[in-house]
Amino acid sequence: MSRKQLDMTLLVLAVAVCFALPLVITSPTYLQILILLFFYAYLTTAWNLVGGFAGVLPLGHSVFVGIGAYTSTILSNQYGVSPWIGMLAGGVIAAFVGVLIGKPTFRMRGAYFALCTIAFAEGIRVMIENIDSIGPIKINGPRGLLIPLKGDSFWNYQFMHKEPYYYIILTMLLLVVALTWFISRSRMGYYLAAGGEEPEAAQALGINVARYKLISMAMSCFLTALAGTFYAQLMLYFYPKGLLGLDLSFEIAFIALIGGRGTIAGPVIGALALRPLNEFTRIYLGSQLPGLHLVIFGTILILVMLFQPKGLTPPLARLYDKFAARITGEGGAK
Amino acid sequence: MNILEIKDLTKHFGGLTAIHDLDLHIAKGEILGLIGPNGAGKSTLFNCVAGVFPPSVGDIRFKGESIAGKKPWDLCSLGLARTFQIVKPFGSKTVLYNVMVGAFLHTGSTSKARDKAMEVLETLQLDHRKDQLASNLTIADRKRLEIAKALATDPELLLLDEVMAGLRPTEVDDMIAIIKGLRDRGVTVFVIEHIMRAVMALSDRVVVIQFGEKIAEGKPEDVTKDENVIKAYLGSEYGAA
Ligand SMILES: Nc1ncnc2c1ncn2[C@@H]1O[C@H](COP(=O)(O)OP(=O)(O)O)[C@@H](O)[C@H]1O
Ligand SMILES: [Mg+2]
Repeated sequence: MSRKQLDMTLLVLAVAVCFALPLVITSPTYLQILILLFFYAYLTTAWNLVGGFAGVLPLGHSVFVGIGAYTSTILSNQYGVSPWIGMLAGGVIAAFVGVLIGKPTFRMRGAYFALCTIAFAEGIRVMIENIDSIGPIKINGPRGLLIPLKGDSFWNYQFMHKEPYYYIILTMLLLVVALTWFISRSRMGYYLAAGGEEPEAAQALGINVARYKLISMAMSCFLTALAGTFYAQLMLYFYPKGLLGLDLSFEIAFIALIGGRGTIAGPVIGALALRPLNEFTRIYLGSQLPGLHLVIFGTILILVMLFQPKGLTPPLARLYDKFAARITGEGGAK
Repeated sequence: MNILEIKDLTKHFGGLTAIHDLDLHIAKGEILGLIGPNGAGKSTLFNCVAGVFPPSVGDIRFKGESIAGKKPWDLCSLGLARTFQIVKPFGSKTVLYNVMVGAFLHTGSTSKARDKAMEVLETLQLDHRKDQLASNLTIADRKRLEIAKALATDPELLLLDEVMAGLRPTEVDDMIAIIKGLRDRGVTVFVIEHIMRAVMALSDRVVVIQFGEKIAEGKPEDVTKDENVIKAYLGSEYGAA
């Protein structure tokens, strides 16, 4: 067996297991945990397009989740538009807002850019919390929006069981991972990496660095908003503090940094590592000390950064290389 | 035909005049050497030509067209590539990856960019390092990589900023051969260099600047006999090089 065949076999196997899982795990509680795991892996993969490949550190991506949720929910609740269509509208608005934020801020370095994105996200959250309605559009301030139950209906993006949500988010995750894989091997991926690492050198090689960063931001925000609609339809209720707060933005960044920023598998590995922990602390310690999970994440992040500054993916990749070399009998991979 | 024409170029940084009223041209196919003491304004001249910042006064024409308002990436697309005195590799990436970034200028296909990059690496005798991380290279290989990246964009005019600084004598000889090879393939070369042996061996013509002003211009053997040049520059450093 060649290395390529081994990679493919394992990949197909892993995907097959993911698709078969609901046959074994039927408890809605556990399915929900898996759904949220995939949801976070998806969000982080989308974030990674700009936060990993383009080498900037946006810390306000919850805004785009919010744009997705609010857009599709307002359109379906008040205008009868299917959330599937509202989802695309939310994506377009999020991409537009992302470019609007990115244009003046991408010139800033490191922490300054991160702070700006936090300030912007918090600003939007506070604004939403203080708006009851814009003209005919109901925003509902801090109380958030409720989606009326309509029963099992694909058109209405509502299902009485967890399985459909599971398969939707799994498909979304697979598609977004495939997209980042494809981008990282294309000119766009090379240009983003070059512009993130040495902007001046990249510009001298014909790359309009700012433009490529904006394109990656637009894509990332578009994809993030799609997950916002998913979340709204899964929960059928959301409010600004929970959806637009920094908690979500930070958790995405934590997952990316711990999993491996700028790698394909990093967001998935990060979500696999952190989500169960998050659920555990929420269930067993959440009532006494809300926010404890972020403290634990912070501690883990410090440890990972100390020992594996590029996250968990590179050491795991090396381990896999060794394993693959033994299986295929090919002398050690590099 | 002149591939590059610089007229009355002046560049101020605040109160400092880095370049003052400079005229200069390069004919197509030529190797022009630019020498001058440290701080004379050589790298600043490259930065103006490459579009990093606009001149304070004056005009720069590349292939007959004014570059006013053009950005570095526009100029690169037009066929003007440059290296940086302080090399800027994409350190976390392999040598091949670095060169492919340049090669993507003329193709959207990853496999074509890879082929092009390999071809350039072979030209620069760097192909045996292709899988090494750029940050792990020796100085000599980093300088070569810097040229390889620029060369992968298929430039008509190549600006080389002290690509031999820090090299051993045999490495300097290799570099001279490489640069001559580039010219034979039709690339016009504008080279800033401190090592006089290399300047003499390479240049068809030499321009000397001091305090941002041109103090001499001509064939290498004539320029090195110029009294102003010896006083300003060679007197102190010629022996050392
Ligand atoms: N971006 C800049 N901002 C301010 N001053 C600069 C800048 N670049 C160069 N200088 C100044 O311009 C002068 C010429 O520098 P430079 O062109 O690097 O000289 P050379 O390459 O000939 O050694 C120096 O005094 C330097 O400090
Ligand atoms: Mg210099």
